[in-house]
Amino acid sequence: MIQGCSTFIHVGQVHIDSAPSAISTVLGSCVAVCLYDVKLGIGGMNHYLLPFWNGNGLQSPKFGNIAIPKLIEAMMEQGSTHTTLEAKIFGGASMNIGISDSMMIGQKNIMVAKEILKEYKIAIAAEDVGGQNGRKIQFNLERGKVLLKYTSRSDDSDRG
Amino acid sequence: MNKTSGCEENKYEDSCEEIAFLSRKILDLNKQLIESEKAKSRFLSLVGNELNNPMTALLGMIPHLQPKGDEKLETIFSLVHEEALLLDFRIQNLVAAAEIENGDVSMTSALVDPKILVEEVIEALKYPMKTKSIQIRIDTSLEQKIVTDPQKLYLILKNIIANAIGYGTANGIVDVTIKERDSVVCITVKNQGRGPDVEYKPQVFTRFSPGPDGGHGLGLGLSIVRDLSERLGGSIDYVTDELSVTFMVKLPLETMLAESEACGSNEFLFESFDDAIEL
Repeated sequence: MIQGCSTFIHVGQVHIDSAPSAISTVLGSCVAVCLYDVKLGIGGMNHYLLPFWNGNGLQSPKFGNIAIPKLIEAMMEQGSTHTTLEAKIFGGASMNIGISDSMMIGQKNIMVAKEILKEYKIAIAAEDVGGQNGRKIQFNLERGKVLLKYTSRSDDSDRG
Repeated sequence: MNKTSGCEENKYEDSCEEIAFLSRKILDLNKQLIESEKAKSRFLSLVGNELNNPMTALLGMIPHLQPKGDEKLETIFSLVHEEALLLDFRIQNLVAAAEIENGDVSMTSALVDPKILVEEVIEALKYPMKTKSIQIRIDTSLEQKIVTDPQKLYLILKNIIANAIGYGTANGIVDVTIKERDSVVCITVKNQGRGPDVEYKPQVFTRFSPGPDGGHGLGLGLSIVRDLSERLGGSIDYVTDELSVTFMVKLPLETMLAESEACGSNEFLFESFDDAIEL
């Protein structure tokens, strides 16, 4: 049960909040990294669509290699360190068998999360990635737990 | 994962490994790129808000200074007003770019008549239109209002219309059309003149890319337009021929406000997490 309000984030958003709030989103091949700081009781989530920014257009956090460092740095500005942070990764499903699956967007999105977290020496406490189902997640900042439900394949069109 | 035969499974794993290897390489290369671009991002976020607040105050007060009857003063007034509007527009772009890059773009939705937004844009761009003696014609066949984020759409339209005025032939006409087909709203802005001189289309939408003739402006406009169009669930593209350039913004046609947004809240309203997995 969420006491405070739950903020829904879309692709390209990075959101940081403190207990008792919650942050939620819906994922397809997109990936969301959740960071939680046990000591400070704060947490943040991003939601990115593609693994790499290619130098074109704005350096938007809809790219993993922009969104993840941005989230980590924003948490560190609040006083977190890599030892107090733990990460959880969700999403990265293969949504369309066929064309877009051959690009393996989901797989690349997952990989980029793991690589960057490793680089920042942040432990991955839990993950639920890959597969073929979309996911709805709600990150409860009271305890740093994430509630996860799979979406049925015909379910929504809005997931990223 | 689906159950597949052993052979296919191996093939899948092999290609996964290869993708992972290549992706790591890209990640490394990309790191250098991001590092070198970081200064620009930081600049954007610092500068935007510092400039925005005083500018808003200025723009609010300037119209009250409109002189009456004195021709010379009126000329000075309109020059000041023009420059203030231009400066404000550039700041709006800086702020938008900074928000996008910071990941704190908040979306709202409202029932919007795109034609009214176009008219507001034209009002804000009346001075550059006058300077170049450009006429704008609006042709709309869209009958209903659409659900979208009005501020974002306004900035998209302002950027493409300002470009059409800026790069269009003097004494020319800019045609704005608003149409709906197959549940897609298509807004086109066509100006007479040469198209962007680039090798590949995406270059046009790259940030800090110079304009066609060595360039005025910051080179932010179209990169913002592309990002915002995608956020609105749409797209941006352009076509050129020998005499004209046409930019097209496509947006999904939605005419009903979603209940959650109609309440003005960001609440996570879909069904409960009763039997959810906890991780």
